Amino acid sequence: MRRLHLDEVIAPVALVVAAALLGTLVSISTQTYFTDTLVKVSIVVALYVFIGNSGVLSFGHVSFVALGAWTAGVLTVPPGEKPAIMPNLAGFLQHRHVDNVESLILAAVVGGIAAFLVGIPLMRLSGLAAGIATFAVLEITHNLLQYQERIGPGLNAFSSVPETTGLRQAALGAVVCIVVAFLYARSRYGRLLRATREDDAAARAVGASVYRQRLVAFTASGFLAGLAGGLYVHLLPVQVNSVYLDLTFITLAMLVVGGATSLFGAVVGALAVSALDSWLSVAENGTSLLGWHIDLPAGSAEIVVGILMAAVLILRPSGLTGGRELRLRGVPWRGSASRAQG
Amino acid sequence: MRLVVDNLDVRYGGVHAVRGLSLTVEPGEIVGLIGPNGAGKSSTLHAIMGLAGASGSVQLDDRELLGLRPEDVARSGIALVPEGRRIFAELSVEENVRLGLAGRRTRGSTDLAAVYDLFPIVHEFRARQAGALSGGQQQQLAIARALVAEPDVLLLDEPSLGLAPSVVDVVFEALAAIKQRGLAVLLVEQRAQRTVAASDRSHVLANGAVQLTLGPQDAGDTEKLVAAYLS
Amino acid sequence: MTVTWQNLADGLLLGSVYALMAVGIGLVFGVLRLVNFAYGQLVMAGAFALALASQWGWPAWAGIVLCFAVVLALSAAMEWVVFRPLRGHSPAVMLVATFAVAFLLQSIALLWFGSLGKIATSLTFLGRFWTIGGVDIRKIAIVAVIVAAVCLLLLSVLLERTEIGLHMRAASMDFSTARMLGVRANRVISFAVLISGALAAVVAVMLTVQTPLVTPDFALRDTIVVLAGVVVGGLNRPIPATLGGFAIGFATGVLGGALPTDQSQYLPTFVFVAVILVLLVRPRGLFDFSRTVERV
Repeated sequence: MRRLHLDEVIAPVALVVAAALLGTLVSISTQTYFTDTLVKVSIVVALYVFIGNSGVLSFGHVSFVALGAWTAGVLTVPPGEKPAIMPNLAGFLQHRHVDNVESLILAAVVGGIAAFLVGIPLMRLSGLAAGIATFAVLEITHNLLQYQERIGPGLNAFSSVPETTGLRQAALGAVVCIVVAFLYARSRYGRLLRATREDDAAARAVGASVYRQRLVAFTASGFLAGLAGGLYVHLLPVQVNSVYLDLTFITLAMLVVGGATSLFGAVVGALAVSALDSWLSVAENGTSLLGWHIDLPAGSAEIVVGILMAAVLILRPSGLTGGRELRLRGVPWRGSASRAQG
Repeated sequence: MRLVVDNLDVRYGGVHAVRGLSLTVEPGEIVGLIGPNGAGKSSTLHAIMGLAGASGSVQLDDRELLGLRPEDVARSGIALVPEGRRIFAELSVEENVRLGLAGRRTRGSTDLAAVYDLFPIVHEFRARQAGALSGGQQQQLAIARALVAEPDVLLLDEPSLGLAPSVVDVVFEALAAIKQRGLAVLLVEQRAQRTVAASDRSHVLANGAVQLTLGPQDAGDTEKLVAAYLS
Repeated sequence: MTVTWQNLADGLLLGSVYALMAVGIGLVFGVLRLVNFAYGQLVMAGAFALALASQWGWPAWAGIVLCFAVVLALSAAMEWVVFRPLRGHSPAVMLVATFAVAFLLQSIALLWFGSLGKIATSLTFLGRFWTIGGVDIRKIAIVAVIVAAVCLLLLSVLLERTEIGLHMRAASMDFSTARMLGVRANRVISFAVLISGALAAVVAVMLTVQTPLVTPDFALRDTIVVLAGVVVGGLNRPIPATLGGFAIGFATGVLGGALPTDQSQYLPTFVFVAVILVLLVRPRGLFDFSRTVERV
């Protein structure tokens, strides 16, 4: 890796840490919003690794989140509880049990492997075809997880999973995802892939294999998405419909609003939209703003977020950050002195 | 109706394709626009047609055309025969010709006879799929399609490109007939000699600007032509 | 697995509905190169209009008029607010934008009508059965096929024999050349959106007869399945797209009823695996035999 531009990773990490610290200052009940937000940061960063660098849309990443959640969940529900929520679980899964960190690692690995296998056929596709194919993957995963009770709870929710994802775990997970995403983006793989995003033909001319680079990115993003799924299942009782269309929509919205082509954008989008969504959810129960009492009807949070996403797409498709990273000039970091492109 | 282009500037991103181009085409004239690749010839036609962003002025009998949408330019009485013909391969020949009617200013007759007279081949193959025609036949179709709109100004972008010499003859004969009918013709071509011979006046374009203007008497003067291209 | 006449009738009904939706989606795609994920929401809006009309005690014909009015107004709004500003953007942006609109409309419906939905009762007479040769077939299945066939026939006459139809076909093949010839872009696009909306209204009527309970996620899953069918059939050409839509509707309708539950559960998986296979092996679609190169 040439010039590392370490300053580009500072801003996203700083934002995550700041959000976590802010979370420690609020009440326990409000803290779950913060923790949930931080897990979503991980998902959105995973999306960025693929979508942001390749320019190819994927509607299917939440499948890997689901698979990660299933992996971590099935392996950490205490054996005594398993028969209650997962009566038809396959033999070898019934007696296996792992601890928290192991479950997260396994979740990530499963996510990565699944992404690799799915990517082998799918990475040849672009544009609309890729969008529809990845949508199909989401549908297939949802369908299978919904009814296959040998690998998970089927339609039941994952209750009894140890709730190890508090602010600290969620923040750590987000930081891990950011660092991995940063290292990938700065690596030769990331650069080559971005080159194909800008100009397909030119990149091929210098030997970049579009297919190979996309597969690498897809696998990496599946890995991170799996990790996020593991974090998620340790936070709240995940059910098959909570890792399906709604989550796909909101995380895509976060990426787009923040700025799909930058890591900073991914984090900003996730935090900004989450903050808005959470505040709106609270407002649905009645709150006050600047002395005005606000009581929004239930479900209006999604509407506002939907309008925001559509508006950003129409008015500023490059997102809040303009799709650029935030660099800290004038700070004496190794390698940050030049103006090389990113 | 005469076409007046004044100080036309066309830019594509960072490329300045046409710089301060001015020319006039009177009714019953053929004006040629020749020059090497990338000189800005096609860009000029695209700009006139509203297909490219441009500044300056393009007037049709005092009516300013720059800034209009392509369909509105077409409906003002200008027709373009684009580079590569761009016919609709999956539509029939007749449907292709009928499409040209979209540019007509009078909503009255849909009479195609005049055009079929000029290009009997097009009439003969009218029921066939346009994609089945040869290059030369497609070129005739493209010109027919443009003429059906009854334009006052006809723009042609490299009509002889990729055509056999005998077919090129047919095209240039048609151009002579079109000129006879009183249209103003702006002809962009790479075949310098043929164009210079057939046009009332030919402008040599290089690097986006007119370097030289030749008359039909210069058609035999190869030295002058080469010098113009290399300037 | 035994296939009964009832299953076939269900297949025909769903096939007809999906064929019309496929055409609606395909028309807009043809002129705008935009896949409208929110198309199902138009159907939903029409269905809710019918439900409201029946709730207010309006006669059936008035409900249908309201349905058409609402759907056409919503289509026009979508075109103005979303499609127009997005023209020329990358396919990715357009996909996500229509996805956002779909979600937005669904959320609005959820807010307005609640998740329990409303019931449209005015057309239930079509939901009753005819007994033909000892077999009970719902009237709507026959009516749906006839209506769909008539609509498609009218549409093909429009496309093949009228000037605006020719313009639309040309615009969907090569928009910029069509414009250069004088074809008015806005007119062609508005027309496509209008017809697409009208088809959505027809679909809304047909679906509410089959399923009188209208909920906010009405037709969202259908849009996805229709899209899959259209892509499998051939997105770029109208006839293959319609065939694809019909095929997937028919197959889903028949198999959904004929398969035992433990197998029919996984029907979506089979359908979507098939979609992926087609996208990989024959990206222009199963029924697309044209020779022109198109961009998907």
